[in-house]
Amino acid sequence: MSTPLLDRFVSEARDLLQLAASGLLVLERNPADEAAINDVFRSVHTLKGSAGLFDFPAFTKLVHAGEDVLSAVRDGRLGLTSELVDTLLDTLDQTGAWIDAIASDGVLPAGADGLSKEMTAALRALLPGDFGTPEAEAPIAQTGDLVELDWLAGLPEQDRLAAFSAAVGGAGLLAIEYVPLEDCFFSGEDPFALLRQVTPLHSLSIEAGEPWPEIDNLDPYRCVLRFRALTTAPRADIEALFRYVVEQVRVAAVPPPALISVGGDRHEGPVYGDFVDDARRLIVAGDWPAFRQAIGALRQFTAPTLRVGSALRWLEVVLAAPDPVPGWLSGLVDCIADGDADLVLPAASGPAPATVSAVAPVPPPIPSSPGRTGLGTISPMAIRILESQRTLLGLPLPPGGLAARLDSVARTVANLLVAEARRATDSALWSAAVDAAMAQDGVAPVVEILDQWLTPDGMSAADAMPTPGDQTRRRAETGDHPGGEVKQASRVLKVDQAKVDALMTLIGELVVSKNSLPFLARRAEQVHGSREMSREIKDLHAVIDRLAQEMQTAIMAVRMLPVSEMFDRFPRLVRDVARKLGKRIDLSIEGADTEADKNIIEALGDPLLHIVRNAIDHGIETPDLREAAGKSPQATILLRAFQESDQVIIEVLDDGRGIDPEKIKASALKKGVIDENCAARLTDQEAVNLVFTPGFSTAAKVSDLSGRGVGMDVVVTGVEKTGGSVAITSVKGRGTTVRLSLPLSMAVTRVMVVEAGGGMLFGIPMEHIAETVRVHRGAVRRFKQAEAFVLRDAIVPLIRLEVLLGMPSSVWIGDGSEEDAVLVVRVGGNLIGLLVDHFREGMDIILKPFDGILSGIRGYSGSALLGDGRVLLVLNLKELL
Amino acid sequence: MARSRESEMNGAPPHILVVDDGITMRMFYRSVLEAAGFMVEEATNGMEGYEKVLAQPFDLMIVDINMPKMDGYSMIRTIRNDPAVRMIPAVVVSTEAAAKDSARALEAGANFYLVKPVAPEDLTEVVRMIVGVAA
Repeated sequence: MSTPLLDRFVSEARDLLQLAASGLLVLERNPADEAAINDVFRSVHTLKGSAGLFDFPAFTKLVHAGEDVLSAVRDGRLGLTSELVDTLLDTLDQTGAWIDAIASDGVLPAGADGLSKEMTAALRALLPGDFGTPEAEAPIAQTGDLVELDWLAGLPEQDRLAAFSAAVGGAGLLAIEYVPLEDCFFSGEDPFALLRQVTPLHSLSIEAGEPWPEIDNLDPYRCVLRFRALTTAPRADIEALFRYVVEQVRVAAVPPPALISVGGDRHEGPVYGDFVDDARRLIVAGDWPAFRQAIGALRQFTAPTLRVGSALRWLEVVLAAPDPVPGWLSGLVDCIADGDADLVLPAASGPAPATVSAVAPVPPPIPSSPGRTGLGTISPMAIRILESQRTLLGLPLPPGGLAARLDSVARTVANLLVAEARRATDSALWSAAVDAAMAQDGVAPVVEILDQWLTPDGMSAADAMPTPGDQTRRRAETGDHPGGEVKQASRVLKVDQAKVDALMTLIGELVVSKNSLPFLARRAEQVHGSREMSREIKDLHAVIDRLAQEMQTAIMAVRMLPVSEMFDRFPRLVRDVARKLGKRIDLSIEGADTEADKNIIEALGDPLLHIVRNAIDHGIETPDLREAAGKSPQATILLRAFQESDQVIIEVLDDGRGIDPEKIKASALKKGVIDENCAARLTDQEAVNLVFTPGFSTAAKVSDLSGRGVGMDVVVTGVEKTGGSVAITSVKGRGTTVRLSLPLSMAVTRVMVVEAGGGMLFGIPMEHIAETVRVHRGAVRRFKQAEAFVLRDAIVPLIRLEVLLGMPSSVWIGDGSEEDAVLVVRVGGNLIGLLVDHFREGMDIILKPFDGILSGIRGYSGSALLGDGRVLLVLNLKELL
Repeated sequence: MARSRESEMNGAPPHILVVDDGITMRMFYRSVLEAAGFMVEEATNGMEGYEKVLAQPFDLMIVDINMPKMDGYSMIRTIRNDPAVRMIPAVVVSTEAAAKDSARALEAGANFYLVKPVAPEDLTEVVRMIVGVAA
């Protein structure tokens, strides 16, 4: 039972109890010793906090009661008599005995519950005042301040109008939810009579807490009712009234706008256009008398059952407030303007009653507003954190405190977006809003975006609430259960990647085993002479082949991730880097939901980062340079992903200064990458491609952003590791495009099988192969030790694969046709001819990298098993050549 | 993934400062947060917490309210007034469930409020989100 944490708790508890006891004795001699009472209180308080980590309710309750008594003493509500000191010391002794029991047995002794109840009651009896005392910890507040308020919209409009009028008149509005115990009739309670005592009672709704049973099974003595009421009575009155049933009552402050909702039949046609125009003008002008008149006139000929009628009634009560809130008025007018629009009220701009901000840090209710961006499905905790930031921004600011508040909120939200893997656009929106808030020295831009995010998505929220005929219903979510409506259970299974990889390996072996069936078929025919058997095996092979391929496709789909996984970090990065360099850059992202294999996405992170940093650092000009060049001072970087046949293409496009081929040539010359003859022959595109040459960097000086002594060759290496390729195109003065072409998956490699060294088989990755040619032996030219041949109008060096691999020169002298098989491969932008004995077929293989002592061997990327049991060595041409 | 946090530069795990005068609570935070891959530094009161914040960068501070020398409210308020460190998100953890206490914490400049006892998975989730680490 003993855990390190429990051991630590036991020793801490003993120390704290010791501290508290000696403090109490000091206090008894000198009750005015403020430091002593603070120490005692804090010891017990800390003990309570620690005890909460363990499941010792009896212990925690007693310590809690002791803390409450000490709190009363500290605040001067309770005098410290010798009797009280005795009681408290008894409490500490009991607590100490329990700690001993916990230390030896790990649990509280039997009977601790009863003893705790008794002692707790005795301690609480010492507390001054009843529940109504505001300083005392009001049990109602404790059981649950925040009740869900979404039922408000279901109340009759009349009730809501009345409560709203009372609330905007200055009285704090409270919502009460009272769910009596089932056996309450037997304990002498009368819930209905109790609620009737609430004055003023603006609304009372009674409903069954569960579906009514069949009449035969109905138990009339069992109370299954739920009462909900709205009142402007002071909270203390409510707490006093319900003091005997505190656990069954929840109270929440209601911000008045939570009551506003419009309902009724929709009207047709633009009949109200004139009114809407007038109304908007009057709201801007703040001309309330004229607005009131206009509303009165329109009500004359509007059927009260219409939605418009409802909106007009609400306009009247909102206008009747001493200080009408223009935002609420506009929201209602918008509703009239568009019969289908949902009511959208600005949050938190109203003269909320003082009690709301003081008592409940509930963000103002946020209306549903389809068409605006929500954040999609995020966790309830994320919603709570966002709501907390929203509340924080709405609190009054200490002088000069805006920047501090914005700083911490900006960071919290930005990180949360990353943690919750939100779209890159959300992060971009957020940082833009933060910048705007900083610039205008006000929180409005960030508040607006938080409100949008906290708005439940119109469609899914409506689906989740199967209340019929309730289209204008508004939700007032509270901090306690915010996510319930927003988050729809997604049927997602989290699987360890190792399991998927294991499955992949198994399928790979299945593919290999399946490949042996054609050999078997041939044997059946040639050795056993059974054509029929051979045909049946071939049929079976076709079926298994198809199934294996489908399985392979399915398992690959499991490994696919959207590229947003790697795109999401760029808005923040671009913003930061651009700021640092004093450049203005607008980053747009397209195709973030394009999918690619997880390994590729992971391998691509750094190369892409490098490309984007390069673009910002070297590509994009400063705003004044751009303006001088006649371009918009704001540069654009487009990050784009899409699928093209069996490849995923990722492009980074910028509209910066582009790459100057002449500069590249000059730089390459200086660095000795090329010689002058070569430089003269290079086309512009070939010059641009020089940036991929290892060690090449055009930047005049190495900056701390993209420089770091490495160049684009790092990008090429990274991308080629995934089996992809990089291309760069640039127009001087207009911009640069870097294009990464990537395979959909890294799991299957397509190779060309060739024979060399007298029957040995080698695989050559297909992406390196430019073409296969047959070269007449006479066309091979010798240059000293080297050989070459002419392919169309280019000279291609020729290398014998067996020589390259250090195999003994074979006796192979060709197949008599006077022609050699030459595989033309492209490595690092150069064409090279590989002379082999034979071309064999192209095939998909599952490449297994060497492990163990073979892993150090260079020149091979791994091996694969062939259907006939032979091992195919796959060459790594980059290392070989 | 990109994180805007102090320890991003050197690739170290997020750095969390827990400020609580209870040694059991501190041990609880440390064991839960370290198990989740975070680095934890402890302070036993607001004054010590403030000094630690000034001495090294943190990605988040988790602060108790009632502490000797300097309470949690004062500590956060002091930090919010210091431009060099004011951006560090703060989570207040208190035994009081009442709404007025969470309002007070936010008024002091905390970004979030949790009630003791905190479930380990809630603690990890909140920290993870505020320092920007995906699940």
